[in-house]
Parts: sequence; structure tokens; C-alpha cells
Amino acid sequence: MGINVIIGYTLMFIGAFFFLLSAIGLLRLPDLYTRMQAATKSTTLGAISSIIGIGLMKEDILIKSIILATFIILTAPISGSALIRAGYKVKSPMTDKTVVDKFKEKEGE
Amino acid sequence: MIRKIVYGVFILIIIAAIAIFMSNYKFGVDKMDVGKYYLDNTVPQTGAANVVTSVTLFYRGFDTLGEVTVLFTAALGVAVLYFMGENKRKQKLQESNFVTKIGTRVVFPFILLTGAYIFMHGHLTPGGGFQGGALIATGFLLLYLAYEETSIDRKKFYLVEGLGGLTYVIIGLLGFFMKGSFLANVLPNGTLFDLLSGGIMLPIYIGVGLKVGSELSNIIDDLMCEVKCEEAGGEE
Repeated sequence: MGINVIIGYTLMFIGAFFFLLSAIGLLRLPDLYTRMQAATKSTTLGAISSIIGIGLMKEDILIKSIILATFIILTAPISGSALIRAGYKVKSPMTDKTVVDKFKEKEGE
Repeated sequence: MIRKIVYGVFILIIIAAIAIFMSNYKFGVDKMDVGKYYLDNTVPQTGAANVVTSVTLFYRGFDTLGEVTVLFTAALGVAVLYFMGENKRKQKLQESNFVTKIGTRVVFPFILLTGAYIFMHGHLTPGGGFQGGALIATGFLLLYLAYEETSIDRKKFYLVEGLGGLTYVIIGLLGFFMKGSFLANVLPNGTLFDLLSGGIMLPIYIGVGLKVGSELSNIIDDLMCEVKCEEAGGEE
């Protein structure tokens, strides 16, 4: 078992761990905004590390997996920000514990 | 109560009939002569690596021409419903955010490229004209979402759409005049897994991909106009 396979398995484990975290976050977090954190940030990291891990284990698909990871990095923030902005615009309620709303402060200027 | 009993008996009869019927078949044995024929003969007859594409374009090409026509009729229906009269887009929609705008600029060419790749490799890899065309249309949808002033040049899109459909029919007629049957294979099969293989599938799928992409983009344009026209009408 080569070193690349070990690193690949480690990365895949990290990816699975972050997927698990985001699933727990989706269930446990209180409002739309924090749930979007769980649904976008950690799934992006989980998907990237799983894909790169698979690429490291099979060298012939390494370049493909790097390209895939690049596109996930490119597209996930776009969809995440557009969704969360739409949620803000339709006034999805915040949880009671919210302390700061930078968007409102900026709009109020 | 008696109705429930009747229903239950009826369901039981159906389940028993299915079970008796299915027990005649053994698992793991070739049941379909048609499927076996396709799997055995696709590569020597058509030179396409993707059996599904060879079925849809080679063995049942006329059927696919009908599907293209169905899609064309659907687009026409949407256009008639939503695009009667002039394009009255006055109201500016809410501006999209910075990330969407910049990201769209980065991603849009890659979406078009991927769509073109998918419909050009329809005879080699999973996918084909319809899937690639739909992907191209999503690229235009992204443009509409990011930049509210986007408006595609409908005349050029109609031209592309018409040319795509025309390609299909012309290739079919070529087969009719050269080989004696509509959509007969008039091009050489080539070597397996080459881009230029599979006979008439590559030009047909390029035509279908362009046609579907422009058609769906036109539908998106119609729908966006409908949203914007309604809002403009509501404010007046």
C-alpha cells in the first residue's frame, strides 16, 4: 500500500467527516442562515477532499478530480450566496440569538 | 367496509397474478431478443461505443426526429402563450449580488464548453444532443439570473434552431437518396472510440444539441419576459 493510498483514504475520511458534520448541522441549527452554513461550507470541503482523495488513489483520474474540485470551489459559493440572499430578501426569520446583521447595516448607510 | 374487502381481494388477485407470471422467468437469463441484438450488433453495424445513442439515432432515428418535433412544438406553444406582441420589458428586477455576477462570468464559458462536449461525444460517452442542449440552456439561464438586462438575440437563436432541425432532415434525405431509406447511414463508421466515428450520429447530435439549446434558451427568454412584463403591468 503506497503512501498515496494512505493519504487518499485519510482525505476521504476527512470528507466523510465533514459530510457528517453538515448533516448534523442541517438537523440541529436553528434558522435558514446557519443551516446554509452547514449545507454549503462543509459540504464543499467534504466534496473536495473526497474527490481529491479518490484522485490520489487512482493516478489516472487525478487531473480529472482536480478539475472537478476546482469547479466545485467555483460554483458552490455562487449558489450558496444566491440562495442565502434570496432567503434574506423574502425575510426568512432569524433565530433569537442573532446578534449582528451586517447586510442591514450596510443597506442603512 | 365491504368496499375495503373488495379492494383487498382485488389487490391480492393482482399480486398473485404477477407472482405466477414472473415465476416463469429465470433470473440471469437473456429474456429480450431485442436488447441482445442491440448489444451484439451495435459496434459492427454503427461503430458507436454508446449503445443507447446507437438505438436512439441509428435504429430508431425516425422516432428521435419525432421527439425533436415534440420539443419544437412545446417551445412554439410557450412562445405563443407568452410572447404575443412586442417584448415589453420595462421593469428592472432586483439586482443580483456581486458573487453571482462575477461567478457567472467565470463559469458561463465552461458551461457552454461542457454542453458542446456532451453533445459532440454522444456516440462515445453517456449523454447526447438533448442533454448537452439542456446544459447550454442552463448557461443562458444563469446569465439571465445574474444580469437582469440580459436579452438574447431571438432571431439568431431561431436561425440556429432552424438550422439544427434542418441538419437532421437533410441527413435523413441524404440517406433516402443515396441508400434508399430515410436516415440510412451514409457516412463511414470509422474506428471505435474515435470522435469521427459512428457515421451520421455526430452531425445529427451536433444539430440536435444546437437546436435544443437554442429552443430552451428561447423558452427561458419567454418566461423571464413574462415575469418582468407582469411586474411592469402591476406597477402601471
